[in-house]
Amino acid sequence: MTDRSQAEHHAATAKIQARRGFSIVWIVPIVALVIGGWLAFKAISEKGPTIAITFSSAEGLEAGKTKIKFKDVEIGQVETIALSDDASHVRVSAKMIKGSEPYLTDQTKFWVVRPRINGGSVSGLGTMFSGAYIGIDGSKKGNPALAFTGLETPPVVTVGQPGRHFTLHAETLGSLDVGAPVYYRQIQVGQVVSYGFDQDGKAVDVKIFIEAPHHTRITENTRFWNASGFDVSLNAQGLKVDTQSMISIVSGGIAFDVAKEGLPGEVAKENATFFLYADRNATQEKKYTVRNYWMLLFDESVRGLSIGAPVELYGIKLGEVVDLSLEFDLDKKKFQVPVVIAVAPERVSAAKREAALKMVESDPEAFMKVLVEQQGLRAQLQSANLLTGQLMVNMVFVPNAPKATLSRHGDYRVIPTTSGSFEKLQESLSRIITNMEKVPFDQIGAELQQTLKETRNTVNGFGGLAGKLDQETVPQVQATLVELQKTLVELQQSVGKDSPLNYNARKTLEELNQTLRSFRELADTLELRPQSVIFGKETKKNE
Amino acid sequence: MKQDAATARQLGLVNCHDCRLLVETPQHAPGRCPRCGAHLHLRKPNSLARTWALVCAAVIFIIPANLLPMTITTTLGAKQADTILSGVIYFMQSGSWEIAMVIFIASVFVPFAKLSILIVLLLSVQFRSAWRPKDRTTLYRLTELVGRWSMVDIYVVTILVALVKLGAVAAIEAGPAAVYFAAVVVVTMFAAESFDPRLIWDVIEEDV
Repeated sequence: MTDRSQAEHHAATAKIQARRGFSIVWIVPIVALVIGGWLAFKAISEKGPTIAITFSSAEGLEAGKTKIKFKDVEIGQVETIALSDDASHVRVSAKMIKGSEPYLTDQTKFWVVRPRINGGSVSGLGTMFSGAYIGIDGSKKGNPALAFTGLETPPVVTVGQPGRHFTLHAETLGSLDVGAPVYYRQIQVGQVVSYGFDQDGKAVDVKIFIEAPHHTRITENTRFWNASGFDVSLNAQGLKVDTQSMISIVSGGIAFDVAKEGLPGEVAKENATFFLYADRNATQEKKYTVRNYWMLLFDESVRGLSIGAPVELYGIKLGEVVDLSLEFDLDKKKFQVPVVIAVAPERVSAAKREAALKMVESDPEAFMKVLVEQQGLRAQLQSANLLTGQLMVNMVFVPNAPKATLSRHGDYRVIPTTSGSFEKLQESLSRIITNMEKVPFDQIGAELQQTLKETRNTVNGFGGLAGKLDQETVPQVQATLVELQKTLVELQQSVGKDSPLNYNARKTLEELNQTLRSFRELADTLELRPQSVIFGKETKKNE
Repeated sequence: MKQDAATARQLGLVNCHDCRLLVETPQHAPGRCPRCGAHLHLRKPNSLARTWALVCAAVIFIIPANLLPMTITTTLGAKQADTILSGVIYFMQSGSWEIAMVIFIASVFVPFAKLSILIVLLLSVQFRSAWRPKDRTTLYRLTELVGRWSMVDIYVVTILVALVKLGAVAAIEAGPAAVYFAAVVVVTMFAAESFDPRLIWDVIEEDV
């Protein structure tokens, strides 16, 4: 009680003041709400599409870390990495930024960017520091898509790059690879984009890309040839080594030029098809597309005639032998040799070539019939080479030949044959013998003796020349060849598999790799334990 | 506390918050302290409303604080943004679970616990609950005690940003979440400050 009265006694009297009204503290949550709302709005409005990409392996990819970059600008991030249902590939799900939608079409390509050393180029070195990322080649053409199949190798040509694609038809691929250079006068103007079998798998289609502005150099008359490796040719002008560049020796290459004869023609269109020749010389030979097949029936020896032997008219090649066999004719009871020849009418030039060709092509039989019946066209065997005994087929016009026409044998029309030059030889021989009697032999003999003497002098002179050739020129050629061989061996040694250059390059790369790895470890340590900058590396207790 | 002991309010007295002078004053409108001139309050003014407002603000701020990246680490050109939780998970996966625990407790558990406690206290006072007043006062003391420690994350980020500046090799930057996280901590501290624990006991006193 005393306590209370004391308190009452000592308590002071307060100064009275009016109370305040609304508390301004509510501004704080309102401000918070405004900021939160703005953040939420931003997050929702900036949300981009989520896409799915399939890869054969997730090497170097990390969920939540790996970025997707378009021309080195970050436009997305990998969210999850999972195996597909049958575990045959990897499904990567990635979140893209807003505004990336126009570039996500079925033409868009994705690939993993890793360090690569390929033929003449090194790419993706930057990823040694930062880890792999997914590259994208966005294309606005095509239908919008959200699911993609990733490429295993980066595309050689990006979609936006100006230029033109062409298809080259080749018999074999050779040493060409994707990315192999295409040269025009030894300057690189394009690359091999892809290759594959053609529709029936009998040849190879090589797709190339020629960069602008060089794509206009490809015209109708352009000839492409495989410029892989180097060509060595020895002719009257000496030894010649032809190559495009060191890179093309290693990884193959293609070169092109306008065909020697004729004008360049019109500029070729996108995806035009050309033939890929085996080498430069092959481009000079004309390519014939039309071939007519005929049969010749011989009842004499065809020894020396082989498949590929030429068929000539007036000494100009018209075609070649494509098949020969021996058969027995039951009706006539005798053996005969059917020879199938292929004739390329395009080899013949004419004043009105197009019209003439059209006529031959539309009905070759009628054309040939006229030749055989009215002008006496016949086939005969003729010696092509006296030394080797090779035979060839010669087409001749025999003015007083017995009447004959085109007959049919199996699938082929048969051109009548005439006996070879041996029978003619006999006729001529008898004529010569009758004429021989008129020859003044004693006079000839005396002159012959004189001639022989002179000949001997000439031959002696020749002998000296031959000796000179033997002593001077041949050793030089031989020395040149030996030198060439040496050079090639040295080249092989210096760039070959076990060469010091190769070894050193490999060693350097390994060391670079180690350095980068330790660099990376340092960075990881710093990221994990930044305190180690101050306190040093901590040692684990249980070690 | 003994039930028969009188409180200042029952005696019509007000304790000056600044100089602790006992003042006799009409309780509906206490004025100023005659000694030091401070405003006199029987209870902290508008305690409930203020605390509610600050708690609401903290609840809003805690969302971006946890969803946005707290640190942006650049290691050899690779940028890596980490939220609080992804940092915790990263440390746990890389084996440093002690650091993970510290960050989790300081940056996730404490702020959420503090906010929850404050909301429970506010609700219980609002609905005039007489449930375990002593325990609730202990909870309040806990929030005040622990409040300052939830700034640990901000300190860690500040130190890291200052320390790890190795140019291209490694650099750490503070992310946008740091601002919101700091706001949460500050606002909850003010909220805990503006809450008057005597309100817990007023209900019991009036019921008696």
